[in-house]
Order: sequence, then C-alpha cells, then structure tokens
Amino acid sequence: MSLFPKITQRLCGLPSPLSIVNASKSLSCGLHTSAWHGAKFSDDQGGRTWFLRNEKVFPPQKPGEEPRPAFVCHMRSNVRGNYKNMWYQACFVRGMTIDEALKQLSFQRKQFCADIKEVLLEAQEKAVKEQGVEFKSNLWIAESFISKGSHIKGMRRHARMRMGEIRYQYNHYYVRLEEGKPPANVYNPKPSGEEMLQEWLERMRNRYVRISF
Amino acid sequence: MLSRTVMGFCKYGNPLYKNLTPNMCVLIPAVVSSNVQQQQIRTTINKHYNPQFRKHRGAKIIKIDLPDLTKEKDDEMSPERMRSKMKEKGLQPPRPWNERNFYISNSGGVFEPYVPPEGDGKLSAVTVKGAKQKLEFVEKKGKSMMAVRKIKSYDDDFTLKDFVQDATEIYKNAHEALMNFRTDKEKLEEFVTEKAYVEMTENAKYKTVSWKFHQSLSPPKVVHARTNSVVSKDNLFAQVTVRFHTQQSLCIYDRFGRKIYGDENLVKDVLEYVVFEKHITEQYGSWRVHHKIIPDWMPASEPIPRTFRKPEPLPDLPDQPEDEDKSSDSSSKPDVAIATA
Repeated sequence: MSLFPKITQRLCGLPSPLSIVNASKSLSCGLHTSAWHGAKFSDDQGGRTWFLRNEKVFPPQKPGEEPRPAFVCHMRSNVRGNYKNMWYQACFVRGMTIDEALKQLSFQRKQFCADIKEVLLEAQEKAVKEQGVEFKSNLWIAESFISKGSHIKGMRRHARMRMGEIRYQYNHYYVRLEEGKPPANVYNPKPSGEEMLQEWLERMRNRYVRISF
Repeated sequence: MLSRTVMGFCKYGNPLYKNLTPNMCVLIPAVVSSNVQQQQIRTTINKHYNPQFRKHRGAKIIKIDLPDLTKEKDDEMSPERMRSKMKEKGLQPPRPWNERNFYISNSGGVFEPYVPPEGDGKLSAVTVKGAKQKLEFVEKKGKSMMAVRKIKSYDDDFTLKDFVQDATEIYKNAHEALMNFRTDKEKLEEFVTEKAYVEMTENAKYKTVSWKFHQSLSPPKVVHARTNSVVSKDNLFAQVTVRFHTQQSLCIYDRFGRKIYGDENLVKDVLEYVVFEKHITEQYGSWRVHHKIIPDWMPASEPIPRTFRKPEPLPDLPDQPEDEDKSSDSSSKPDVAIATA
C-alpha cells in the first residue's frame, strides 16, 4: 500500500491549534504543513472493475433456455462516514425489490440511507436506458455492499507527549440491480428440523469407528 | 464530581443540582417534572458534561480541510469553479496542445453515389422513361469506364472480373470479422475502412452477431466506379460499387445472450449495393468495404419483437395540443413503442 506517503501529507493543518495548547515544537517539525491537494483522490475513485461488469457480453442462449436476467452495476465512490456503521445500511436493502428498498430507505434517518436511495435511483435509470430493462419496477437488489476508500488520518493531542488518531473515512458503495423478482432466500436458508436430522444421521453413519468390524 | 448516570436523569431546577446550567442536563424525562411545562428531551449524548474547557478540548484536534469528494468531481465542475480551485492551490492552467497529426486513410463519403433503379429492373427502351433511363445508363457507364481506366493506370493487374471475386471475399471476411471484432479488432480494420468500421460496430458493441453466407443467387457485378482526389490532385481514392444478390442468415443476441433479431436457421435473399474503396495512389492500399447503398424504394426491415417503454417527451419542446390528446387516449393502455432494428 502506498498509504504512508499520503498520510504524512495529510497530517497537515493549521499550526494555530497546536500553539494554543502549547504543544512542543518537535511535534510539527516532522510534518508537512502545506495545504492538502485533493488531486490525490483522482485515481482513487474505486469501482473500475465493477463498471467493467456492465460491458461483459454473455454467450448466446439456446432456444429452450430460460432468458438470462439483465443486470446493471452501479456505485458511488468516496461516501463520507464510518465503515462499520455504513455496513448495516448496505446490508439492509439486500434482496429487496427496488420499490420496497426505496420505500424503506425513505423512512430511515441516516444520511447514508439517503445516499443509497440516490444511487439506487441512478442505477434504475441506467438499467432502463442502457441495459434494455423494460419495466423499471421489475428490479431487485442482488448485491449491495461497501468497501473502504481513502481514509484520512487526523491527529489529536493527548497528555504526556502522546497523540491519538482520528480517522476521516471515505467508503465506496456498490450495488447491482437484477431484472425480475427477488428469490425467497437471498442468504442460505436455515435447515429445517428434518433436514438437520438427516444431516446428523448421515454424519453418524459415515463416521469412522476405530477398531470395529 | 457528578457521575454521568446521575447527570442523565437530573431535573433542571432541582435544589440538589442547582449549580448546573440547562445546557448540562442531557436527558430530562417528561414524567418527572410537574412545574415545568415544556420539556427538552435529548436522546443522543454527544456533549461533554463539563462545558467549561470546551474551547481547549477543541484546540487539541488538528484541523484538516476535508474535501467533499462525493459532490465535487473534476469532470462535473464548472470552468469558473475549476479556475477558482486552481487559483486556491496556486496551479497554472494547462498549456493548450493544439498540434495534431492526422492521416487520411479513407475518404469520408461516397463520390456520386450509385442510385439503384427501382425494383432493380430496367424499363423498356421504347417508352419515354425507358429511353431516359437508357441515356442515363450510357452516361454513367461512360464515367465508370473512365474511372476504371484511371484505376488501371495505377494498378496494372486490375480487371473487373478478378475484382468481383476479390470483393466477394472481402465482403465475407468483413462480416466474419465483425462477429468477433471485440477480440480481434485489427482483423476487421483490414477489411473495412475507418468510416465503415464506425458504422458497423456502433450498435454491435455489446451484442453478439451470428452471420452466415450461404450462396450467391446471381454472380456479383460491378455497377459503378468513381475516382476522386483528396487534398491534392495526386492523392487519388477509387470507389467501386458492387451488386450482391445472395442468400444469408443473420441472428443478433443482446448483451445477456438473449435473441433480439433474426434467426440462425432462416435463410434470406439479400440484395445489396456495397461500395469498396482503395487509396490507389498509395503503394500498400487495399480494397476495403466502405459503404452500403440503401435505396429509397427498399422496404423497411422488420421491427424487433421486443417491446420498450415509450420515452417521455422532452421538456424543452413546446407542447402540441394534438399530441396531448393522443397521450391522454393512450394513457389507458400500456405505453409500448416498437423499436426498429
């Protein structure tokens, strides 16, 4: 990772807060104190391979085959927020129909939910315009997850010449909409009692008993 | 010092905690108070319990200018905004680079395009129309002969008989190269000019084309030939139009492999007028597919069976009362438009 040069550059800032608390001069001498350049982010937008999925051409299907559902991949890069908190919102819409997700998200009070809603609407428009989806309601959220983007590290003064780290996090949100209705089980279904029994029986029968007939 | 839990449920005005300010009461349950009418309830506790050293605590944190990366992207920024941003950072505007080399490998169009006679037939020479047509034929044939002579002056081995055979091969190879042009782009460039390349691949970019040439129904023949100079008089391009009457089958699949047009097993008779072009003054020039002439009288190709949502009218266009009536009628029915291939 080439994160370290970035971080050292980002430990910049105004010298005034330090002088207020009478921080020792040795703290700022090893740091860059110039203005931070946003240009560093230009090649750190994420989602390069994610958008390549929209360009993949699948092999032709035979006459009897079930038509392959259309899908569209979309993402938003560098959404400000805590990764661990945003993860719940990303999982929340997974496996919902687009209309249900939009409805549910409009009742959530998180900023990131509003962001997800915007991304979903963008993706929906993209699906209709670019991927040949006829009905915009006939979509469901097949994939919805976040990944870490650039995390800027800030600094906080502690007692006895120590310092604490503050992370300003930027994350990428990814979504894939698929044509059709969502499946009954998006995750693996929990096995029923009967199935668990069968599994157990199988396991018992297959076990190896040492020094036996 | 009071513990945080006590603070959480303190009541403003209680003599026990009379040193406290209202700011410090972080959570006040409405049920407890009787004398205070309006209660302020705060559920989130983000504030320090002691506001006295707030400023000093804040000074402990080094402030960083955090960019709002989601809202401001370089390509969406207005020129004015871009200018102010660059000024802020002390950057010079990039020097414009106006030098560009270009290479004319093909002519951008068709010189005096061939107009196929309607129904691909000839009128009787006895009638007035027929006589006119005959005269035109003779006139055009003369020009074509001149052009062929010009081509021969640069290419000694050029004969129409051989050319027709070569043209058929180029035509076939071009279509076969189109089927897998995503993997082998160079091969298609070998058989089609840059103009034709764009026209052929534009709509086939994310589609699978399955094409098969079965047979020629009638021998292909040269119907038209022209030469023209580009930029200087020595720089000559030749264009020859060939009439193909063949049997082909075509099937097109979309990105997801679903059939959208045609049939692989359906053989169709096809009449085409294909323009081939060569940069004759260039030593290494080759004949390539340049254009296809589609006559006005040709029936439109059949629409694709898939349906699409009717696009909404553009907001900038002025409202037309006739259209509004139509749209109100059609609102009861599902809006479906049939797109043509």
